[in-house]
Amino acid sequence: MRRDEGNSEDLGRLGLLASALASRTLQVAPGESGQPAWTDGRVVFVDAGESPREQLEALTVQASLLAAGSLDPDVVRRLTRRPVLARRYLAVEAHRALAAIEDRLPRTLCSLVDRDVAARADSPAASLTTARSREALADPPDSFGTIRPRPLLASLDQARGSKPGQQVPSEPGSRLPAELAEGEVDDGIVTDLFSSPVGGGGSLGRLLGRLLRAVRRLGGGGPPGADAPTHRTRTPTPGGPGTAFSTATAQTADPTGAEARGLKYPEWDVHERRYRPEWCMVREVEPRSKDVEPFVVSDRYGLRRPLARLGMGLDTCHRQAQGDDIDIDAAVEARVEMMAGSAPEEAVYLDSLRRRRDLAVLLLLDVSGSTAEPGATGQTVHEQQRGVAAALTVSLHEIGDRVALYAFHSQGRSAVHLVPVKRFDDDLDALVMRRLRGLVPGAYSRLGAAIRHAGAVLKDRGATSRRLLVVLSDGLAYDHGYEPAYGAADARRALAEARSQGVGCLCLSIGASTDVEALGRVFGSAAHATIPRPEQLGHVIGPLFRSALRSAEVRRRVTR
Amino acid sequence: MTRQADIVTTTDVPRPYYVPLGNEEQVFTAAFRRRLSVVLKGPTGCGKTRFVEAMAHDLGRPLITVACHDDLTTADLVGRFLLRGGETEWVDGPLTRAVREGAICYLDEVVEARQDTTVVLHPLADHRRQLPIERLGITLDAAPGFCLVVSYNPGYQSILKDLKDSTRQRMVAIELGFPPPEVEEEVVAHEAGIERAQARELVRLGQAIRRLETAGLREVASTRVLIAAGQLIADGLPPREAALAAVAGPLTDDATVTRGLLEMIDVYLAGSPSGEGDGRRRGED
Repeated sequence: MRRDEGNSEDLGRLGLLASALASRTLQVAPGESGQPAWTDGRVVFVDAGESPREQLEALTVQASLLAAGSLDPDVVRRLTRRPVLARRYLAVEAHRALAAIEDRLPRTLCSLVDRDVAARADSPAASLTTARSREALADPPDSFGTIRPRPLLASLDQARGSKPGQQVPSEPGSRLPAELAEGEVDDGIVTDLFSSPVGGGGSLGRLLGRLLRAVRRLGGGGPPGADAPTHRTRTPTPGGPGTAFSTATAQTADPTGAEARGLKYPEWDVHERRYRPEWCMVREVEPRSKDVEPFVVSDRYGLRRPLARLGMGLDTCHRQAQGDDIDIDAAVEARVEMMAGSAPEEAVYLDSLRRRRDLAVLLLLDVSGSTAEPGATGQTVHEQQRGVAAALTVSLHEIGDRVALYAFHSQGRSAVHLVPVKRFDDDLDALVMRRLRGLVPGAYSRLGAAIRHAGAVLKDRGATSRRLLVVLSDGLAYDHGYEPAYGAADARRALAEARSQGVGCLCLSIGASTDVEALGRVFGSAAHATIPRPEQLGHVIGPLFRSALRSAEVRRRVTR
Repeated sequence: MTRQADIVTTTDVPRPYYVPLGNEEQVFTAAFRRRLSVVLKGPTGCGKTRFVEAMAHDLGRPLITVACHDDLTTADLVGRFLLRGGETEWVDGPLTRAVREGAICYLDEVVEARQDTTVVLHPLADHRRQLPIERLGITLDAAPGFCLVVSYNPGYQSILKDLKDSTRQRMVAIELGFPPPEVEEEVVAHEAGIERAQARELVRLGQAIRRLETAGLREVASTRVLIAAGQLIADGLPPREAALAAVAGPLTDDATVTRGLLEMIDVYLAGSPSGEGDGRRRGED
């Protein structure tokens, strides 16, 4: 039976089922018409024209192959360019994989398992041996689909360089031994070292592309090359990251000009276990805002409601209908009124209620080159982070909190640049939105110095007793002389410093491909969360903010 | 003031149904005898409250439960003065009642309470076993049967450091999780009053949902929601509709996720005794 064309979007609905079977995030998408189903490890492609039952079976087989480790690279590599072997392997291994996760299968699908075939092998390697032997094997049913080694390997390689939604299957039986798994993680760091900091997939071509793009943006006079400029800038402030800035602008709010000249911050050297004093030069650079359309906040991700209950100061409220203590004045008046014969007021209690806004939030937005990478949903990480930053800024501002938004990137320790998109005392107007739109990702991220400066700004300008620093970053701390391990240690240290000064810290990674462990290394014990899609932020922002604020509150009491 | 506390007297009622998963009953009993406080850790709906009820029954103590929320003040726990006519009258809070009567005081989701509130638990939770009541100027010594039990749901990713260390270290921790499939089948079948085979389908569905890691679900499908679905089935609802109402609905508001869950429900409950869906089997062999 063939269903109509509307079927293809229905396939996405099967994603949850596939993920549940495979114990990892899987998507289901329509494949080429008439072709057998296959998977690249992240997406299962099934023929949208097939009957639902066939689709279900194909999906189940492919998901169980992934769940049972049948498609681990070591095995798949041996199947490349050997379609007959791959087919024989599938004939044995599919049944073994289905049998291995039989307790997960819906009852209607348990009939897929052929126990006789499944009993022939007890591991992918054994299945491979059986497939190589001369034993007669029945072809797998068409609905089992096929294995396509090359795209699968390509996707796995990409995934090992820390890819989005890579969940390690949680079943111990289907995993590599622990030591191998450890090795994988280390691999991830090394790949980061070479690929992510420059924002490309690691290829020289992409690096070049990025460099050329940066050159094109230089200055306002036009392009050095022959291409027409994509957008003309007449702003007196040089806009491109990585260029030299003259920062002595007249607009600097600080009368002493200290910020214009730059502030020096120490950096934690994890190898020497000591601080390097006055190591990083942090400057606030004026953002590009002219000739840019204002950023339009299209979606606020439902942040207002969860945020509204946070950061409220407790006020003692008099004359409440219920409360912790008796309001003596009100009680006396009520008594007098009753003695005088009139109906007394019943609201005679004191209660402590959260009525007063008492929260300053500084959003620190990572605009280093690595955020220009496309995220899981197609948009770049930068676009997603910027959308979230805007939604948070607007929501917090509307609730009545003090909010500031700074973007940062760096080019070596002497040029850590923070771009004040919105200072605490700025109005939230079109200018702010134009500055936000004008941000272009580039250069590197010296996270520690940026966090230290942001913490200092919060302390000086926050002007509330509750202060919160929200870092929106993909968690890749990298710069000249700031390799990931060193950078992660410094960033962790900087966050701990901020917390010890009573600043709550929350680190959000939106749509980025960094895995949770890597984030844990960078953000340490600060509240952090990886959010695959910005729309999910509304669900978690409340608990995250609350947790970050609480951790700072405890410390504030101690230091007082 | 709203009162979330209720007293359960445990005489002459059957023991609340609880199937132990490990040594939690022994640990609890030992902690109770040695007058130690207990923290129960575990996800929503895995049976923390039921466990405390069963233990209170076994130990023959009344149980006072307080559902904590983020505006819970010390006065809500300890008590306050009220005006009655021209007189002030002291009214004991649930914690004070438990201390006086020697009851088991169960603070559900204690992390939700304000931190200045949880501090009042400190002298009670350690060897002193005292409750100072500022407003009365007295300090109560806890009666022999008093036991403080708090529950705590290690939440989202890395925010599990919610409960203060000084509070945590005064407690004996018992970790509860979702039961293994066979036990959960038994629990669902017993609590909902449905066939074992039907319960098995529900538990498989629940476990499939628990394996999803990033689906935008607020929480995973707990034993509680599976029982609720089972109860709806027992009342005559078709399994698919019961699961949609009791499992998918509470877990998500997202339309896309709901559709995905619905697909899972269709597949997992298709073979149910009174289920719809396509029960078509493969016609091979």
